[in-house]
Amino acid sequence: MKKMLCTLLALTMLFLLAACGQQGAAGEAGDLAYVKDKGTLIVGITDFAPMDYRGDDGSWIGFDADLARAFAASLGVEAEFLEIDWDNKLLELNDKNIDCVWNGMTLTEEVLSSMGCSEPYWNNAQVVVLKKELAAEVKDVESLSSLRVAVEAGSAGQAAAEEAGLSITALLTQADALMEVEAGTSDACVIDLSMARAMTGEGTSYADLVYELSLTEEVYGVGFRQDSELVAAYNDFYAKAWADGTVQAIAETYDVADFVIG
Amino acid sequence: MFITVLRALNSGFLRSLEIFALTLLGALPLGLLLSLGSMSRFRPLKYAVKLVVWIVRGTPLMLQLLVVYYGPGILLGDNWWGGGAAGRFTAAALTFIFNYACYFSEIFRGGIEGVPAGQREAGQVLGLTNRQIFFRVTLLQVVKRIVPPIGNEVITLVKDTSLVRVIAVYELMWEGQSFIKASGIIWPLFFTGVYYLLFSGLLTVLLGRLEKRLGYFKV
Repeated sequence: MKKMLCTLLALTMLFLLAACGQQGAAGEAGDLAYVKDKGTLIVGITDFAPMDYRGDDGSWIGFDADLARAFAASLGVEAEFLEIDWDNKLLELNDKNIDCVWNGMTLTEEVLSSMGCSEPYWNNAQVVVLKKELAAEVKDVESLSSLRVAVEAGSAGQAAAEEAGLSITALLTQADALMEVEAGTSDACVIDLSMARAMTGEGTSYADLVYELSLTEEVYGVGFRQDSELVAAYNDFYAKAWADGTVQAIAETYDVADFVIG
Repeated sequence: MFITVLRALNSGFLRSLEIFALTLLGALPLGLLLSLGSMSRFRPLKYAVKLVVWIVRGTPLMLQLLVVYYGPGILLGDNWWGGGAAGRFTAAALTFIFNYACYFSEIFRGGIEGVPAGQREAGQVLGLTNRQIFFRVTLLQVVKRIVPPIGNEVITLVKDTSLVRVIAVYELMWEGQSFIKASGIIWPLFFTGVYYLLFSGLLTVLLGRLEKRLGYFKV
């Protein structure tokens, strides 16, 4: 009897916990004031070159990191970077552990419906990465059908690969998907063009990998809490920074000018 | 929605259970072998076993999973696991068996060395062979002594199964988390806790009964 009671109690507590999480998801007024009050804009990121990655001195650099600092400065606050588990980005955002998700985030249906999203600032594609010797055999989507394809779970790459009818394995991150190809445990992976460009070919750890064939085109945006005034503040900032050439200058620094859009 | 979630969680839980059962089946006998090796009078064997146990206990299980699964392909250029779900599962199960066998071996060693020397000597006086003494006198007493520490490891194993998702074996927590990724629904992740709690609760009861049943011979 006692044990049953305990089990029931445990169940109730778990449900309460889940309920709390969902309440937190509701948008709140005064997000801009909240950020200005505490003096920091906490930016949720993952290690994802060329958007956010560690420079030689250990601090976060990259196109998104530099732009995030500029945006924080325009609000008169400090930008702080917090590495998160990408799967839990919505949870982190709604729990106010971070104030925005800013890490080459593809604006998918799910993201658009669960976050307050900025205007798109980046054009991207989902590309197929594979070993050089295999690349010659791959001409079109049909020739991929016999391959084992790795993707990041819940990513735009997974959606694109499923759309194309490929046989996929879902991994935790895009970096894991790349490692699968290198280890030969998968034949190919579908990841962001920006990441494929930065992490494959000469001078990288994946010198024997190449990217071919883009499956879909997509755009990146910055995610804030739903109904946050930060969205409008960001869009204003970006329009100005684009007009005065700040955005283009940062893009030049990281050799990504082809991707950025105004 | 609730039914969809439960179905996904059940399939994940089944995968976790498979890892759990295979690990116990493999690691208990292998652990006994390793413990005998670590007590061997043949020095090279003894130190080889101790070295292996040190490495396995001294590194995270998650790292071992990554090394075992990706190591062959990246370091040796030959991925012998195959890429399919079966290869991933095999690699995960073997890593778990070996890892837990190392922990078990130390528990066995403690149990065996803890049996009073008088028990052995009594066996010798009665004219039993070394083999008979080990299996009929020592081992039975060892089993009784090691049930609580082994039970500890068994409960830990329930939760450690959640690590296999790093090599894309889709166990319980992966399934729970997939609802956040796919549709922004958070509660399934927390709800996986109910599965872990109920299962470890059941194990606690079973282990308690086992302990009671072994209580008939007091040492």
